[in-house]
Amino acid sequence: MTDFVRAAREAAKRLAACEAKGTHAFLAWSEAALVEQAERLAKNGASGPLAGEAVAVKDVIAESQFPTTCGSKILEGWRSPFEATAVRRLREAGALVAGKANCDEFAMGSSTEWSAYGPSRNPVDPTRVPGGSSGGSAAAVAAGAVTMALGSETGGSVRQPAAFCGIVGIKPTYGRVSRYGLVAFGSSLDQIGTLGKDVTSAARLLGVISGRDDRDATSLDRIPLGEPGPAPANLEGTVIGVPREYFPEGLHAGIRAASDRALARFKDLGAEVRDVSLPHTKYAVPTYYIVAPAEASSNLARYDGVRYGPRADGGLKDVRAVYRATRGHGFGPEVRRRILLGTYVLSAGYYDAYYRKAQRVREAIRADFARVFAQDVHALFTPTTPTPAFKFGEHTADPLAMYLSDVYVCTANLAGVPALSLPIGRDQGLPVGGQLIAAMEGEARIIRIAQALERAVDATAEVR
Amino acid sequence: MRVTRTDIEKVAALAELGVDDASAAELQRQLTRILDYVAQLSEVTDDATSAVDERAARLRRDVVDPDPLSRTPKEMAPAFKDGLFTVPRLGELDRGEDAP
Repeated sequence: MTDFVRAAREAAKRLAACEAKGTHAFLAWSEAALVEQAERLAKNGASGPLAGEAVAVKDVIAESQFPTTCGSKILEGWRSPFEATAVRRLREAGALVAGKANCDEFAMGSSTEWSAYGPSRNPVDPTRVPGGSSGGSAAAVAAGAVTMALGSETGGSVRQPAAFCGIVGIKPTYGRVSRYGLVAFGSSLDQIGTLGKDVTSAARLLGVISGRDDRDATSLDRIPLGEPGPAPANLEGTVIGVPREYFPEGLHAGIRAASDRALARFKDLGAEVRDVSLPHTKYAVPTYYIVAPAEASSNLARYDGVRYGPRADGGLKDVRAVYRATRGHGFGPEVRRRILLGTYVLSAGYYDAYYRKAQRVREAIRADFARVFAQDVHALFTPTTPTPAFKFGEHTADPLAMYLSDVYVCTANLAGVPALSLPIGRDQGLPVGGQLIAAMEGEARIIRIAQALERAVDATAEVR
Repeated sequence: MRVTRTDIEKVAALAELGVDDASAAELQRQLTRILDYVAQLSEVTDDATSAVDERAARLRRDVVDPDPLSRTPKEMAPAFKDGLFTVPRLGELDRGEDAP
């Protein structure tokens, strides 16, 4: 047995143990597929930076061994005829695709409760959600099934589950990673992101999948980020901005205590901590919930039962009746809600009041970040989420309450800037995430700062 | 902003989405609540600073590259015949909805 095949069989044991506990992190995986990839690697003599490493891939990312369902019945069993650029780069780096990770349907959700195939469970506390939409990817890493995973972000879908599960998640700059093969949700916001058991794991994966791709016109003309450097010994000369809008009165006491402790560690490391303001922060969630559904209503028009996926015809004689039946039955409640909301805000008579207004406010949010970063602030530090992981069913009856769990993460997607979440402590046993945000293309800077904080803070210690 | 049953029917038709009676009532209530919440954007004045992202989309040569698919459209489509996707006939257009 080669080293690669041995690594594949060990990965399969870890995946089986994860799923045996009822985590439901994966929609598809198999030991046979892992071994087959390992045998191919051994035959080709792979020696890439991720040689033999098993990586989970969120099910909204096209991959050819397993179905790509996007967590939706409308694509049940559908197999992509091509692979995403990010997956191709994983393979070129010697990685094995461990399986397809569960997610909210078409990445719309913050808990995986909107997956048509049932939710994933948080490995830290199985009575609670792992976050979403990349909840399966986060749960797989937190359960120890894999050390790294691909997720995707439209409004915080990598960082929020990373925070809930006590792991690291990175949302790169818009354009840093090719979107080719990422099933489109909100095209001006979507980015593939990485999750890892620690900062270096998530950064190594980003280093491999980043870089220019001719198949995505929005891809930045930059070389891949490559391997991260070692953790810096201190942060002298680094200015950390603390936006006051992210620390309102009434902020969850555990989140505040963990954040205060992290800020004290920054000072211990020699960084300057400075109060700053991002005045349009309060408008981020309403802006996001106009822009993202508007783009989704257009992107999801392609699922009509004509070109791919199951068709609900039942003897229907009219093509438009087929469209309506296929889409009405194939999409779940959150996707239907967002398609209708998006169609509403784009419709005649409402376009200026909602969509055009939201685009202007988005520019103001972007300007807030640009102004702060122009004042010699190297990174911003905020909580990742307003609360630790919530219980199943807590927010499903009230969509707006679910949307508000994205309040600290969707700003970076609207502005296009990179951001990272890392664990900074526990509150009553539940992980708390801290967020670092940089100016455009500042991934290397926040990775370096996060590595230093990671060494200085005991993320498993209770914060109060 | 109260979303009416007529609004739901109109946008459902525009989105080609079948919505049954029970879910229409719930959607009416939920969309009203969401639109009331997003209405706070009207507080933001239009003179709020705009930041223009000066990074332009990169262009490539205008040529068709081969993009080999591992599976053909025939294998993916619910119905496919003689190189074409097949669908039921287009019914009579709904007046007022599709008319120019």
